[in-house]
Amino acid sequence: VVDQIRLWQIEGERMKTTTGFLFKDFHSTQEFEEVAKYAEELGVLKWKKSARRCMFVTRHEQIADWLKRRASAQQQQPKKAAA
Amino acid sequence: MPRAVKGVLIECDPSIKAIILKIDKDSGHGYIVEDLDDETLVVKEPKLAELKLRLEKILEKTQMLEKDEESDPENPG
Repeated sequence: VVDQIRLWQIEGERMKTTTGFLFKDFHSTQEFEEVAKYAEELGVLKWKKSARRCMFVTRHEQIADWLKRRASAQQQQPKKAAA
Repeated sequence: MPRAVKGVLIECDPSIKAIILKIDKDSGHGYIVEDLDDETLVVKEPKLAELKLRLEKILEKTQMLEKDEESDPENPG
């Protein structure tokens, strides 16, 4: 029981934990920033680092859907993406 | 397309993070998903409770050593 209480003491005082999803391996900085903006608007963005193109979000479903829509939109307009 | 990896984001001070890195290394890298910066990392969710336990044990030892400064420390250097 004492161990359990101490566990909770570490958390809060010296460390904070959040369950969610790490997004990484973005194709470009632009893609990263667009997704980060969307995640922030949704209120699910917890942490991000542009230099590493990494972000941590509390929910991933809407972002995954958004990325799929974006990918299919780009496939339909390859010339626009290349310009 | 970017990849999404499930995990637990840990935000802590660098000294705690250093201990977590050591625990991960000593266990054959069984805990950490991604090392993000000095104060941030992502660990596997099913391993979080175990990690906290090991962290707690190490912190307890460190605190005991700090309190027992009169006696000789076990680890010189």
